[in-house]
Amino acid sequence: MSNHADIKLMTPLTKVFIGIFGFGCILIIYRLLFGLRAVTNLNDYWPWGLWITIDVLGGVAMAAGGFLIAATVYILNWKKYKAIVRPAILNAFFGYALAATSITLDLGRPFVIWHPLVMWQINSIMFIVAIHVVLYTTTLATESSPMVFEKFGMNKALKTVKKIMVPIVIFGVLLSVLHQSSLGAVFLITPSKLSPLWYSNYLPTWFLFSAVLMGLNMVSFETILSSRVFKHGVPKEVLFGLARGSLIVSCIYLAVKVLDLVRLGAVGLAFNGNFTSNMYLLEMVVGVILPIVLLLKKSVRTNIDRIFEVNIIVIMGVMLNRLNVGMFGMSEMASRTGADYFPSFSEFMVTAAMVSVAVVGFKICAKYLNLFPETEH
Amino acid sequence: MALNRRDFLKTVAAAGGGLLLSQATPSAASMSKELPSEAVGILYDSTLCIGCKSCMVNCKVENSKPGGALYTKGMQEPTYEFTNERIWDAPQDLSGKTVNIIKAFKSGTGQEKDSPENGFSFLKQHCMHCISPACVSACPVGAFVKDPVSGIVTYIADKCIGCRYCMIACPFKIPRLEWDSAWPQVRKCQLCNHRYKEGKYAACCEFCPTGASIFGKVVDLRKEAQRRLSLKPGAEEEFPIRTVDSKEKTVRAVPRYVNHVYGLTEAGGTQYMLLSGVPFALLGFNPNITDANLPDLTWAYIAKIPAVAAGVIIAGTATWAITSRMDKNKKDKGE
Amino acid sequence: MKNTDFKAMSNHIGGVSRRDFMKFCSVIAVGMGLPIGMGAQIAEAVTTAARRPPVIWLSAQECTGCTESLLRSTHPALEHLILDLISLDYHETLSTPSGRQAEEARAQSIKSNKGKFILVVDGSIPVKDGGIYCMIGGKPALDILKETAKDAAAIIAIGSCASWGGVPAADPNPTGATPVHEILKGTPVVNIPGCPASPYNFLSTVLYFLTFKKLPELDDQGRPKFAYGRLIHENCERRPHFDAGRFAVEFGDDNHRKGYCLYKLGCKGPETFNNCPSILYGDVGSGSWPVGTGHPCFGCSEKGVGFHAPLHSLAKPLYLTPSTFFTEAYPGKPETSSSIKALGAGTAGLVIGAAGAAALMGMGKKGSDDTKDKKNKEE
Repeated sequence: MSNHADIKLMTPLTKVFIGIFGFGCILIIYRLLFGLRAVTNLNDYWPWGLWITIDVLGGVAMAAGGFLIAATVYILNWKKYKAIVRPAILNAFFGYALAATSITLDLGRPFVIWHPLVMWQINSIMFIVAIHVVLYTTTLATESSPMVFEKFGMNKALKTVKKIMVPIVIFGVLLSVLHQSSLGAVFLITPSKLSPLWYSNYLPTWFLFSAVLMGLNMVSFETILSSRVFKHGVPKEVLFGLARGSLIVSCIYLAVKVLDLVRLGAVGLAFNGNFTSNMYLLEMVVGVILPIVLLLKKSVRTNIDRIFEVNIIVIMGVMLNRLNVGMFGMSEMASRTGADYFPSFSEFMVTAAMVSVAVVGFKICAKYLNLFPETEH
Repeated sequence: MALNRRDFLKTVAAAGGGLLLSQATPSAASMSKELPSEAVGILYDSTLCIGCKSCMVNCKVENSKPGGALYTKGMQEPTYEFTNERIWDAPQDLSGKTVNIIKAFKSGTGQEKDSPENGFSFLKQHCMHCISPACVSACPVGAFVKDPVSGIVTYIADKCIGCRYCMIACPFKIPRLEWDSAWPQVRKCQLCNHRYKEGKYAACCEFCPTGASIFGKVVDLRKEAQRRLSLKPGAEEEFPIRTVDSKEKTVRAVPRYVNHVYGLTEAGGTQYMLLSGVPFALLGFNPNITDANLPDLTWAYIAKIPAVAAGVIIAGTATWAITSRMDKNKKDKGE
Repeated sequence: MKNTDFKAMSNHIGGVSRRDFMKFCSVIAVGMGLPIGMGAQIAEAVTTAARRPPVIWLSAQECTGCTESLLRSTHPALEHLILDLISLDYHETLSTPSGRQAEEARAQSIKSNKGKFILVVDGSIPVKDGGIYCMIGGKPALDILKETAKDAAAIIAIGSCASWGGVPAADPNPTGATPVHEILKGTPVVNIPGCPASPYNFLSTVLYFLTFKKLPELDDQGRPKFAYGRLIHENCERRPHFDAGRFAVEFGDDNHRKGYCLYKLGCKGPETFNNCPSILYGDVGSGSWPVGTGHPCFGCSEKGVGFHAPLHSLAKPLYLTPSTFFTEAYPGKPETSSSIKALGAGTAGLVIGAAGAAALMGMGKKGSDDTKDKKNKEE
């Protein structure tokens, strides 16, 4: 067991994060009191903006690492990944909690967010998403509980949880597969609005693939970053394995996306120089093709620093995909009416506050819980 | 933890049962795609519209009464767009305060009515009351409801959580949120269904002076629309005012219509249909809207969920069982 | 205009003061859309004319309404003004002589004023059966018009009947009533329609001609643009009610009493060109025109509307370009909105920047091969 008790909590950077979070809280209260227009620039032609695309879509995709590593460890029984399973799950928990919080704040009527739990409308993909968020956040909490029980010496609880861990993880995989893809399914009902560059009846599947890609890279990124911040060794074989996984998934993703583009006859569309076409090219070239090219080189695949850089690129690429599907890809029809949207300062600040609280929260957990059981300083 | 054979088989059986069950639910839950028996709607003939906006004014007045689409408890007067003015209401678009609006198309000199070049034309924009509404299928809490008899799509504000998925889903961009409110609801035309018990009908049709908006059963409106398209341009013909079966008629020279009734098939068919002298794309209708039924697109995914669930459970359990057995074998062999 | 000149002719205008006269000329100028300073020019031209310009006024199938309304203006002594500023050599109602003497006076005037007199015609000209349905002094009006018009300096058709046929030409038009300009094809005829025509529109045209020696700008139906350039609908005082959808539905109902728009009662304002709402009628005060009194306009001055369209049928607003107050149905902006573009550009910058930095850093170091390290450790 390693000792992280000597992590300095109140570093200057942490103070900045806490400050941002504090400011964000004020904005949140203002938003709850005065409504959406008081705080955001959302309008009738841009009902979903920064919060939905980055906090919710992006946040959920980022948290995909949790179910992947949990499944790898508990279902596939690949023991070498045990070193990162706890931080991955905790990360996912924070990610989902923050996505859930962001959705709540984005709702017009946040205080009735519990309505979908009692008012079922099974034709609605939003209903499915809502149920999933609740179930999966609970599942993640359960998967994260061992380290909490350890800390507080609740051995009986610990034993019970360990007994049901496998079914919980399988349930978590199920929920994640459905949840990640259903976020893509949300946009199935907008064929006349979303550009053919993204719209496809396989959109849910592509969201799942890109979520897996994002998850692998996020776990790797977070592992390397933790090792640098908390100054402990890094499980190299794990990271090389994740990099290999990322390469394979990227190649599959690229292949299916290109095939889909050809099937839909939209190849020409990608190269016509329009705003949406350029965003698509950016997403594919920088977010998918570039990482493949880099990871194909052994020197990159086997170098922690290089892997870290590729992680960042892939993460940004998948984030861009979420931004494209949720916002930019639908801009053509919205722009026709002359409507416009640029996130307000408050929207940026609340997003920053969400990220800040996640980072600080993770740090607190790293200090007080046995998050890295097999690491050494 | 060891999973014995019995438990494993039990799990598979349960998953298999779930798979079978999953085939039963889809058909029961999918939404109706048929025109309801007593479906009512509006036919708007843009060539008859003179842009007087009487429909807008009276829509706001009537819908500000209890039960109306713009009603809020305790309101003293209709919601004006510019609340301080209270004399002159000048909505520029549909919004949380305006559920019906007249917009104009203008090109070049804008001299000739219903001409695509150097001409102008009007559009009456409000909820299309689709036969298979995207908003009804999209709402996670079922705040949008389509009446099974009249086909009118109404909104239950108390259920709404303000997620705005209906705004994303509606291909016609109709639902509008009250952005300024801390407890907002979405607003849209509800075909004045609160007036039916008084024997009245849609206010826009009742107050339209030229018969551009007429109310009636959808089947009758469709017939009337087809009749107009079959008339000879230039001939003087009678057009009913207010309702499709009204005795009150206005006599007009038949204009040159675009040979299409909008809403007959678009988005699976709508109960608010339009005729026009200029192409519908020029009136702002998204040309990417096809005849495809939108709820079906989402249902195609949702219907697969039970199968996916079963698949993951089976595959996950099987994989775990196999790999943990392999592990156990390794341990037993003393590695 | 010099005071002495004015004094010289003041007795011709029935004692109207110089000030009132100047005011009158300015009003006339403004009514025609001319700068107010032109009033002086008009006064000058009128008072220093060597001789009073002669006018021959022919009447055919008319009701004399145009003449009567001309005389009904309440400006004091205006009838004197009109009749004294011009030399009305022939007018069936106002001439002192009658019968053969009147006809002789007309012939004499034509002879001595060849090419200099103004010909005014009211009433339509029947052409059926040789024009026997309107005979003056035993001669068909058709022939009288033709022989008089030959030598006229300017021809003005006053009233709807002379301008496009009016009441006599209503279906089935048994007498073949024809407007003046169709009889005198090829000759410029100023049409001043109305039933009756507004006296000020007529007066302004005549004074314009006398001052500038040419006719005012005419539209494609020969009507002076200053009076007939706009639809009544565009100047109507009840237009705000139309725009706000407030209509009277029945005579005497609440909305009618409130003075709401009369479109639903059949007002033809939207398809009639005239300036009635601006200059009103008869000088009796505000609201002195049909709509102002609560009766819908029936398009008395418009061919195809007046005496043709049923009184209470709905008008079809013509040439009515929507005000810019309407939101555009399809602004048709093909470009991506600027803020979204900016957001996209910002995001792209971030992504490319990060990728570029990563790529550059990767290209810089050859990098430690970490697998080698691990192998070393294990060994």
